[in-house]
Amino acid sequence: MSFLAFFFIVVSLLSFIVAQLVLKRAMEFSAKNGLRNSRFISLISVGTALMTISFFLTLGLLQRFDLSYLYPFQGLSVIFITLMAALVLKEKLNFQLIVGALLISAGIVLVSIS
Amino acid sequence: MRRDDGGLEKRMQDRPSGFGNPWLQLTLSVICVFVSELLLKRGATDIAEPDSAWSWTGVNGLISPLVWWAILLIIASFISWLYVLRYIPLTIAFPLSRVVDILVPLGCWIFLGELISTLRWCGIALVVIGLALVAKPVAQIEERL
Repeated sequence: MSFLAFFFIVVSLLSFIVAQLVLKRAMEFSAKNGLRNSRFISLISVGTALMTISFFLTLGLLQRFDLSYLYPFQGLSVIFITLMAALVLKEKLNFQLIVGALLISAGIVLVSIS
Repeated sequence: MRRDDGGLEKRMQDRPSGFGNPWLQLTLSVICVFVSELLLKRGATDIAEPDSAWSWTGVNGLISPLVWWAILLIIASFISWLYVLRYIPLTIAFPLSRVVDILVPLGCWIFLGELISTLRWCGIALVVIGLALVAKPVAQIEERL
């Protein structure tokens, strides 16, 4: 795998993770303050823009690599998003959720290397 | 759910039923992602131009009709997903949404007749156990409501 491929995989993964956190925050905010305010609109725009970047980078990567090769990286997103949701959004995380997220990620990696 | 969660638990208690049920929307979102993944891979393979530097951005994928169908499904799943985020914590909704990671290989096995190796079955089993662990606290919360 070239440096360029690794770079695009990391950027795609990072933008996906940050997008999920921003979107979750936007929807939490909208539940309390409604949809017509500048903070909600800017959060949802940033989240959508990041999702779009991640989407097109993935489409570029899919032209070069097998889906099964790219999948383990998507598997990592389960661990990262679960941890970041607990750290950044202060969501409650228990032992069971952590083990569950780890098993899902391990399973996705196994499916793609087999 | 002792911690202050910004009224999330209250919203979940008052959640709409029927089509507005967050769990139904999560399921719809997952199905849309499942179909769009298969369409995207087919579309990307059809138009692959690995020699062109532009194709790293994936924008050339837009010439494939399959990619456009996939985009429509992704937008639909995105709207459902935003709705889900309003009711369900990300630490629960996101791992559950990865059920798509077992649907895709199972879909290839059932619809396309592809073979699944023992190792791959083991991977699928791990994902199922992981999903069960994540879903268990949800079932307990639902019981209390």
